[in-house]
Amino acid sequence: MKEIDCRGLACPAPVLHTKATLQQDRPESVRVLVDNAASQENVRRFLESEGYEIRIERTGQDYVIVGRAAGAAARSEERAAAAKPAPDRQTLLVLCTSDRLGRGDDELGRRLMVNFLKTLREVGPDLWRLVFVNHGVKLTIDSSEVLEDLKGYETSGLKILVCGTCLNHFGLLERKQVGETTNMLDIVTALQLADKVITV
Amino acid sequence: MRFPTDENVIVGLERADDAGVYRVSEELALIQTVDFFTPVVDDPYAFGQIAAANALSDVYAMGGVPKTAMNLVAFPVKEMDLSILRAILQGGIDKIREAEVVLIGGHSVEDKELKYGLSVTGFVHPRRVLTKKNLRAGDRLVLTKPLGTGIVNTAIKAGLADAKLVERVTRTMAALNRAAAERLAAFRVHACTDVTGFGLIGHLAEMVSGSGTSVHLEAAAIPVFPEALDFARMGLIPAGAHRNREFREAMVDFDRGVSRERQDVLFDPQTSGGLLISLPAEDAGALCAQIRQEGGTAAMIGEVLPDPAERIRVG
Repeated sequence: MKEIDCRGLACPAPVLHTKATLQQDRPESVRVLVDNAASQENVRRFLESEGYEIRIERTGQDYVIVGRAAGAAARSEERAAAAKPAPDRQTLLVLCTSDRLGRGDDELGRRLMVNFLKTLREVGPDLWRLVFVNHGVKLTIDSSEVLEDLKGYETSGLKILVCGTCLNHFGLLERKQVGETTNMLDIVTALQLADKVITV
Repeated sequence: MRFPTDENVIVGLERADDAGVYRVSEELALIQTVDFFTPVVDDPYAFGQIAAANALSDVYAMGGVPKTAMNLVAFPVKEMDLSILRAILQGGIDKIREAEVVLIGGHSVEDKELKYGLSVTGFVHPRRVLTKKNLRAGDRLVLTKPLGTGIVNTAIKAGLADAKLVERVTRTMAALNRAAAERLAAFRVHACTDVTGFGLIGHLAEMVSGSGTSVHLEAAAIPVFPEALDFARMGLIPAGAHRNREFREAMVDFDRGVSRERQDVLFDPQTSGGLLISLPAEDAGALCAQIRQEGGTAAMIGEVLPDPAERIRVG
């Protein structure tokens, strides 16, 4: 059991100390002592994000956060369980890598993509995730012709994932209007879980 | 506590708004505000800009035009090089100049801890003062800067933010709320404030309390620095965000789909945050379009509901 005393330290120091300890070696279990609620919450979050199972103990004014490694496998299963769709349905993921459909005429491709996304609703409840990467992220910003359609999908419960790296690359982070800005791990997990992936 | 007052005080201490407003004549009222704080970024010039943008923002949030400013400085003159102070003041002056405001004085004291800010005076027509109070059912809420600067600043302190992110966040904090404020005159704005230390929910709660309305926020529509979500997931959350949550959580209903880190960003204390504006739906669309056309950020993030329970619902 690794013990880290972070009493007397203000945020974000307790998280950083814990992080440094985890980087040296990955202990099976770890105890972190803090003396305020904010640090307790932050260290708990950090250990959870690192795949530890958490128990909190109170000793006087102090908090002890006890983390037990759940293991990398358990962690990815947990991610999967959280994201797993209803078992009786086929799950369809549509990966949009461009704001045009097909190659050749750009103007035609633009119109086709608009039509494609408007028509996609005909797939019905099997449609499970809509993922936008590369030029595709431009379909999620304020000037998008399909913004209202995408918002409609989202309102009806379809989860839309938008690549944060791509938005950043095009300088569009602040113009995105629909969907959840996400990272590659979430995209890869979604691809893995889907029964069928359509790439356009 | 009872505060001295007279019949020309339009907005005074008991209202706890962004700034005080005093009627000079039928045509003119003064807006007065003061704000200063310890450095939020390492670069002294950028800190000066941010502190000035932040102080000026209170005048914009009241619907006014800032006119004059005075420096407030606390500086550890024995321990710190004077070139740092010069850079801070230069940042402030450049920002004041950008706002077409004049610097007419100031005051400095020796202090162990560096602090900088401004007292700002502005003008407004006495009948065009915008306060936090006056939400109307059917209004849309518009926000003009992305959230998450408090969390990102915590990550910067932790050495976990890359230079590009530091630059982006600094630029956002140093940006004047002027462009958005100047557009407001053309619309039927019902209420306005700026988002600072209490976070989006904290400032919205002040608007909702006593309004006889509730609001619905569309979590996915609220602009945020996406990195802030990642940092929040790692526990890089400023203590202020936890305090803001503790204080206002009882007023808020989060839909199950709103992740914990997205909630954190809504409670995150902002430095020099954007304007939060309540106005009719048709006006809101046009306002957002105008601000964006000029390269600014503006997002419709929610609406005011006729529900008298004074709740904040986030879905």
